[in-house]
Amino acid sequence: MEEISNFPLNPEPPEEESPQSQMHESTPDRKTMRTTKPGIKRLILSLTVLFSFIIGFPFLWKSIEIYRAPLPFDRIESFSSQLESDPLHFPCRFQAIFVGFDFSASRGLGPNDVAAAITRKMSQLNPNSSRCGNCIGGDYDVSVVIDSGSSCAQTEGSEAKCPLKCGEVVFGGKLSDEDFDEMLKRCLGNVGGGGKGYSVVVFNGDKEEGEVRAVVGKYRHAWVLGHVSEDEAVSRTAEIFARVFMNAGSEGNSIRSEFMPVGADGRIVLSFSLLNAEPQDWIYDWSFHEIDKTLLHPVIQALQPIANITVESQVLYYTPKSSFSYWDDIHGSHIFSTKDLPFFLNSNEWHLDTSVAAGGRSKVLQLVVYIPSAKECPLQLELPNGDLSKTNGFISPMWGGVVVWNPESCVKDLESKDPDRRVISPQNLQKLFEVLMGQLRQLLGLKSDNLYVGQSGAYILLGSERGFTEWELDVLSGKHVCFNLHSCATTLGSLSRLVQSLPRMIIIDEIGKQVKFSLEAAKFAQSYASTGIYNASAVSSRQARSLVEDAFFHPSIMSISYYSFEHCFAIYSPFFLPVTMHVILAALREWKRYKQENRKYLAWKAKERIVS
Amino acid sequence: MALLSRKGTLFLLFLFSIFLLSASASNGSGEEEEEFWEELLLKPLPDRKVLSHFHFQNEAPLSDSFARHHHLFPKSIAQLVKKFHIKAMELSFTQGRWNYERWGGFDPISSHNAKPPGVELWAVFDVPPHQVDASWKDLTHALSGLFCASINFLESSTTYSAPKWTFQSALGSLRYGTLPREAVCTENLTPWLKLLPCRDKAGLSALMDRPSIYKSFYHSQRLHLTQAKTGANPKNSRVVLEQTLTVVLQPNILTGGTNYVSEAKMQPSWSLSSIFGRKINGRCVLAKSSNVYLQVERGLVTQLENLQSSTATFAANGTNLDDFGRNVGFELSVNPDRVLKEVEKSSSILYEYPIKVHKDSEQFDLGITWKHPVIWSTPHVPLYASRFLMGSGNERGAIAICMKSTESTQELVAANYVDQRCNFQVNVLQIVPWYIKVYYHTLQLFVDEKPQILTDFVERMHVSPSEDKVSPGLMELVLKLPCEVKSAVLNIEFDKGFLHIDEYPPDANQGFDIPSAIISFPDFNAGLQFSDNSLSKTPMLSKLQERSPVISYTEVLLVPLTTPDFSMPYNVITITCTVFALYFGSLLNALRRRVGEEERRLNDKGGKKDALLNRVLGKLSSKFRGRSSVSSQPSSSSSSSLISPKLILRVLLVAGIAVAWQYYS
Repeated sequence: MEEISNFPLNPEPPEEESPQSQMHESTPDRKTMRTTKPGIKRLILSLTVLFSFIIGFPFLWKSIEIYRAPLPFDRIESFSSQLESDPLHFPCRFQAIFVGFDFSASRGLGPNDVAAAITRKMSQLNPNSSRCGNCIGGDYDVSVVIDSGSSCAQTEGSEAKCPLKCGEVVFGGKLSDEDFDEMLKRCLGNVGGGGKGYSVVVFNGDKEEGEVRAVVGKYRHAWVLGHVSEDEAVSRTAEIFARVFMNAGSEGNSIRSEFMPVGADGRIVLSFSLLNAEPQDWIYDWSFHEIDKTLLHPVIQALQPIANITVESQVLYYTPKSSFSYWDDIHGSHIFSTKDLPFFLNSNEWHLDTSVAAGGRSKVLQLVVYIPSAKECPLQLELPNGDLSKTNGFISPMWGGVVVWNPESCVKDLESKDPDRRVISPQNLQKLFEVLMGQLRQLLGLKSDNLYVGQSGAYILLGSERGFTEWELDVLSGKHVCFNLHSCATTLGSLSRLVQSLPRMIIIDEIGKQVKFSLEAAKFAQSYASTGIYNASAVSSRQARSLVEDAFFHPSIMSISYYSFEHCFAIYSPFFLPVTMHVILAALREWKRYKQENRKYLAWKAKERIVS
Repeated sequence: MALLSRKGTLFLLFLFSIFLLSASASNGSGEEEEEFWEELLLKPLPDRKVLSHFHFQNEAPLSDSFARHHHLFPKSIAQLVKKFHIKAMELSFTQGRWNYERWGGFDPISSHNAKPPGVELWAVFDVPPHQVDASWKDLTHALSGLFCASINFLESSTTYSAPKWTFQSALGSLRYGTLPREAVCTENLTPWLKLLPCRDKAGLSALMDRPSIYKSFYHSQRLHLTQAKTGANPKNSRVVLEQTLTVVLQPNILTGGTNYVSEAKMQPSWSLSSIFGRKINGRCVLAKSSNVYLQVERGLVTQLENLQSSTATFAANGTNLDDFGRNVGFELSVNPDRVLKEVEKSSSILYEYPIKVHKDSEQFDLGITWKHPVIWSTPHVPLYASRFLMGSGNERGAIAICMKSTESTQELVAANYVDQRCNFQVNVLQIVPWYIKVYYHTLQLFVDEKPQILTDFVERMHVSPSEDKVSPGLMELVLKLPCEVKSAVLNIEFDKGFLHIDEYPPDANQGFDIPSAIISFPDFNAGLQFSDNSLSKTPMLSKLQERSPVISYTEVLLVPLTTPDFSMPYNVITITCTVFALYFGSLLNALRRRVGEEERRLNDKGGKKDALLNRVLGKLSSKFRGRSSVSSQPSSSSSSSLISPKLILRVLLVAGIAVAWQYYS
């Protein structure tokens, strides 16, 4: 406003006027010359406006900028590539104890040579040892103790007592496998301080003792009893180490290790459902409370390092299966075959609803007991080879398992008016739950067998009353850490791709923080794993995964607020387009004019000089 | 699908010894078990309609395994109760409006099951006061997922409030919210049915034929959770889940059998199969009891008795209504097992039919055939309440709640005639959204159409004024009205507020709903009293006999608010920008102008050929600048025109408009 009111006071026009009147007398050629210096007020004014526009532009740009918390893209990249190239490994120590062998006498081998032979054999047996969650590949930390009765030799750095004190006991009395296991635990103790220490004890027996008995205990010990040659002892030891302890007996034919049914918050909800297909015929109930206390509680305790497990149960009624079954005279039962399994689950009628209590991202595993109606009782599962399944159940990975349980008598009591209400007897329930626990083991990626047949013989795997043996839990938690880190890396990768592909998406600070913390937690998990601090590693990896999931499913990302550039353009162009045209044109004109006038003035000056 | 290994013997060795305990059923002393009942109440209504009221009750002990192991009780509800520490809760989905005049308002069914349209939710939490709001928000989300409804809109603090006196006395921990515009359909019924152990596969719920239920005049589906204490030990309490479905149906008129009176006056004869299109095939085997009741109302019983006494033949026989279905008025197709009669003289009658276990041969199909036209009326609410809007325009208005006395109040007067000052209490709860800005000081009370001083009648008052975009306004009044009152009108004025453009719903032009006001009469007891109390009480009977206050809801009001042109922001932006650009451009041009030089150039060109155009332009511009500059000497006037206050005025005007525009946009 001020400029306008000042404008008429601008003394320039009269100034211009007077020299021109003078010029009229001295030089008639006004078009080519002028006697005064051209005024620069208007030029300065228009240039100032132009420059203030140019200077103001970054401020405007800043003000309409969208807030994006900086995400460490390069760190995400390097983390996933590092996880790819250098999978996570745990340090493991293996200890082989040979009792009643004399390698030096028969072969001239020292304990170090035997250790080297075992390592070699292990590498052969376990070619893909670089798999994530395994023991550190290549050079296994194998220590060997050779107790030949008369002399005792061991590799350097071995922590076991030499000679083995409890040797006599072994041959003294006939011990059951369980007692033997306990005894070994007592006298070997836990090998090694940090990390996992596994040991195999080979007792060389007499020739008359007959069959060689190889047992894997429920702790981290295994033993081989009987007459074995030195070579066989070495190969068996290597096989137990490489196949059983490191891979839990699985050879990749069971569920892939990437699938670990643990929720992002590290929780599993085991939802047990008893389905009465037709309550008009019979109504079965179970005393789940007792099962929960006696059978499930130890299992949950055992799995504590892997996941926080909660158990719930319900009984549902009028829940027919959706596949068909047919009567088979040979088996004397109704048969459903493996082909029908995809259609067995009836999602219309089976309201196995997801748990409200679990909330968020817990994983719900459905374990279903199906009681067929009188029309289809007994109901049996036929395997592809024509046999009947002993467990009469099946699993669906990442979903859960189903067991069909047939009542003892399939005859419906036609006389009684009320349908009979029965309770599954404790013995039956016990059997049922053994099958269900086996299914749970399979869902977690373990074998449900108690026998492992390897290249050099069969191994009996001792079961634990907790459902999971210590060495199995080691394998599981390794897998768990791996699964968590992998899924963390994948989620981080997709998050960074998403963020980079949408340049005008708002990313709030919280997401940036979560990503940062997640990366840190992942780093911790890796470093804990390499030093063998297992539980801490599991906790950190879980944290890493849940943090990044939180970031990815953050409500502000879910509702992608995409403020497009077109929108911005549409709002500001009605102002800036005309105004900038004005400003630029004005500046250009003034500049042109100034140059022109200046030339005139210079011409006059030159003329003056010539004149003078 | 991975098969279990063929070598099926599992190697899990569990502890065998401990497990040989007997099953938990052995310690089931009745207190420990989960129980389920199903019942159906049918009642002919005076306006040729039929009320059918399904009542399902599920009970579970609040033990350690609650919310973890369940046999009959729905696990999802149990988990809700446990997770959000719910003491009591009621959720109702309603379509249609309960007709208090014709369908009655003074009986247990109407005061429990007549609900406002849409969704109504209240819950009492057992948490410290500062956590109640958080629990409420979580609960609304959980319920929204569970029942496929937009209950999550109740999460916003503008939609719920904490009334003090209308509901059970749960100070501070009760929250109440309604969604008047929620549409109710099968997607809400299916999850509700999933909570029943038999769903709609067997038992009474199998009657729920979706088309016939949803073409009803009134449809209200309700879920009510309470904790009932049994015995002195507080640990012994049970969680009671009541699920009711109340439907008012128009039976199809069965032709035939009515030849002596014109059909128009007759009540339509109906049967279960004619109103639902289905028959009852058998009870739900899991239910402890499964009963169908037929209620004959007080008014109808009186009418029938009158009719009976006037008809000589029946009078001679001395038959009464207890003689099943052999009365003058109507005939029942099935003989009831039991007849329950209210204690009072002119009382309602309840016929009970227990449902047997499923047999293919027999199906239960209760029917009623009317033989004589009967006209009766239902017991009315003490004060019939209606609510309406006053005023016009989009600026202000007033809400009026009008309560008119009915015959119940007259009875009360008659009963208390001896007492000189007979009063009865009326509780009024009115919740208004924040954009209806109620002026509480304008509250007026008219009793018998005469303005009254509020303090004479209002015993207690609780007002929490609305806060813009934070909380709704709540007004609770406890009125003491004299028994002989004819009418009472509450009147309160309001201003209509403005919403932000983002806050309008998609159908903003339809108007905004003000939730129903709740009028309750704590001095009146809606319960019925049946004679044989000693007999086994089913949940339905105990519900009917429960002493509960009479509650009625008013209509939902639709308030039109000013709705903006939703493209306005863009228009405003564009116009403002254009004005600014114009202003800026002209300012810049004015600053750059060299008046003297222009004139000189004009003079120079004056003599030339192309001066015509310039002259025209000059004339035009001079005209544009004002008629005053008609003088042929532009050299003197032009310099003055620059200084002229007109230009300044014009520029100021443009700038002022621009600023004003910017300010108001």
